[in-house]
Amino acid sequence: MQNDALHEPDQALHVEDLTVTYGDVPALWDIDLDVPPGVMCAIVGPNGSGKSTLLKAALGLVRPVAGHVRFLGRVASQMRGRIGYVPQRQSVDWDFPTTARDVVEMGLYHRLGWLRRPGRRERARAIDALAEVGMQDYASRQISQLSGGQQQRVFIARALVQDAPILILDEPMAGVDATTEDVIMTLLKRQRDAGKTVIVVHHDLTTLRRNFDWMVILNRRIIAQGPVDQVYTVDNLRAAYGRQLAVIAASGTAGSPP
Amino acid sequence: MTALAGVFTGGIVQTVLLGAALLGAISGMLGAFALLRRQSLIGDALAHAALPGICLGFLIAGGRELGSILAGAFFTGTLAALVMMLIIRSTRLKTDAALGIVLSVFFAVGVVLLTHLQGQGGAASVGLNSFLFGQAAAILRSDLWIMGGVGLVTLALVAGLWKEFKLVSFDPDFARASGLPVTALEGLLTIMVALAIVIGLQLVGVVLMVALLIAPAAAARQWTASLGAMVALSALIGAASGAGGALISAFGRGLATGPVVVLLATGAVVVSLLLAPGRGLVWQAWAARRARARIGDGRVLLTLHALARAHDDPRYKTEHGMLHAALGVTPSAQHLARLEQRGLIRAVSHPPETTPHWELTSAGYREAALLAGRSETDAEEQGA
Repeated sequence: MQNDALHEPDQALHVEDLTVTYGDVPALWDIDLDVPPGVMCAIVGPNGSGKSTLLKAALGLVRPVAGHVRFLGRVASQMRGRIGYVPQRQSVDWDFPTTARDVVEMGLYHRLGWLRRPGRRERARAIDALAEVGMQDYASRQISQLSGGQQQRVFIARALVQDAPILILDEPMAGVDATTEDVIMTLLKRQRDAGKTVIVVHHDLTTLRRNFDWMVILNRRIIAQGPVDQVYTVDNLRAAYGRQLAVIAASGTAGSPP
Repeated sequence: MTALAGVFTGGIVQTVLLGAALLGAISGMLGAFALLRRQSLIGDALAHAALPGICLGFLIAGGRELGSILAGAFFTGTLAALVMMLIIRSTRLKTDAALGIVLSVFFAVGVVLLTHLQGQGGAASVGLNSFLFGQAAAILRSDLWIMGGVGLVTLALVAGLWKEFKLVSFDPDFARASGLPVTALEGLLTIMVALAIVIGLQLVGVVLMVALLIAPAAAARQWTASLGAMVALSALIGAASGAGGALISAFGRGLATGPVVVLLATGAVVVSLLLAPGRGLVWQAWAARRARARIGDGRVLLTLHALARAHDDPRYKTEHGMLHAALGVTPSAQHLARLEQRGLIRAVSHPPETTPHWELTSAGYREAALLAGRSETDAEEQGA
């Protein structure tokens, strides 16, 4: 079973020798990764580079064939709700019969323990979390009636309500408009400034340097990791994206000094 | 009247009535979760896969002994569910294909066993046929205790693990990440479904059992937007279908209870799909019609407003033909009549012309200005 002793407790996320395969296709190969606490970290890489798989393996949702993962020295299953996870929005059925506030309260279930139902205090905290993402007016709205960006913000509120030291978001900007993206980024930076570690699977290289201070470039293997101003270079990006980089370099400012 | 009294006091009908209502309530409750987890058809595989277990139970007990038959049904049913999960997890087959394979293999084995047993003769094995489509009259008073027990356990589990079941049904990944034993909870739900199916086999049979699981839940989903109300309503629809089916088949001669129960439950689905407010097809068609009419009204009003503004005269009398030209289509009499009725426009004459003219009332002018203003700000918002 799991060793009780903490392993690498000074890292918010520590991944060592992690390999994940789907059938005989390797999705992640021998990943070594450290994310220090208190940073806002982007995980980038081309499609199929294993970004989501990395998050899922770290959280114990996918079983790796080798390697181990620790959050602040502990395995995910020992964190008991101290990781705020925001799955991809499309991973659930938004026609589920429930309200925005109810979804946010789900972030508090682990704390309530068995048999106890959420009560007035949980309701108040859920409303507060909705207010943090600017959705307080939609608390009793059916989730099926929310727009994509609003659904995403409800998901983020569900992670915020946990008041977890680590936030992990899987493509939170997918399918949201620029305004919502700004709202979400501001929100996440505020979490980072409050001392939390924010780890985001991200697609958009152009907005990366403006918003993140740490980054991991992934393409089944780790291409580079570290502070954004050291890692965000043409060489590193080319190593991950290859041919596609021409487009990125044209739209962004890869390689120029910050 | 004595016949009616007999229904409620008489042993067999009362037993069937209670049994069918209980079964409907249980499968309605569990079906709601199965539906939301997109696992309705697993119930179908489970039910069909119960057939070989029924025959095995018969073989092992050496006769038509209910306990071992139901145990066999439960065993092969859950075995099928496990095999299916294994296929989905370890091969590239998707859920639908795995389901089709498992269902038909287990059912085929069941039919082979069944025909083999019947070919061997023996009076008792003939009764096994009734598990295909159910035979309500075979229910004993003592079976009600089992049903009631399963019902109570289901109710207690659903109430006690309410928030866990809700989270696992909505977002299993998040549930797992927040430390819930998702596999155990999902397994528990599947086992409860298997139990509900097993106790329903006598009444409804393996072929139709899945309907009692899906139909009440599908109907209930149409009427409500909260999980609690959906589960309660689903149980209610299930119970009502069960009781109704038992009564109908008690009065009508030669009507099998199980299929009548299923027909009632699916009837509830059809009614709900059509009529439920918000989600029903009829309701939606009506709402779309109203929206179209409102937009049409608005366009006529806006055209009159634009023409009045172009002439710097709020009371400008627009000739019918001009309205047609400006609008691009013939303004329908319905739109004009509705606007006139709402007091927004009125028909006027404009001598020496003899053609009909339309004029905005002051209320109509205000309404049109509002409409024009609103659509302008809408456009700005979308542009931003």
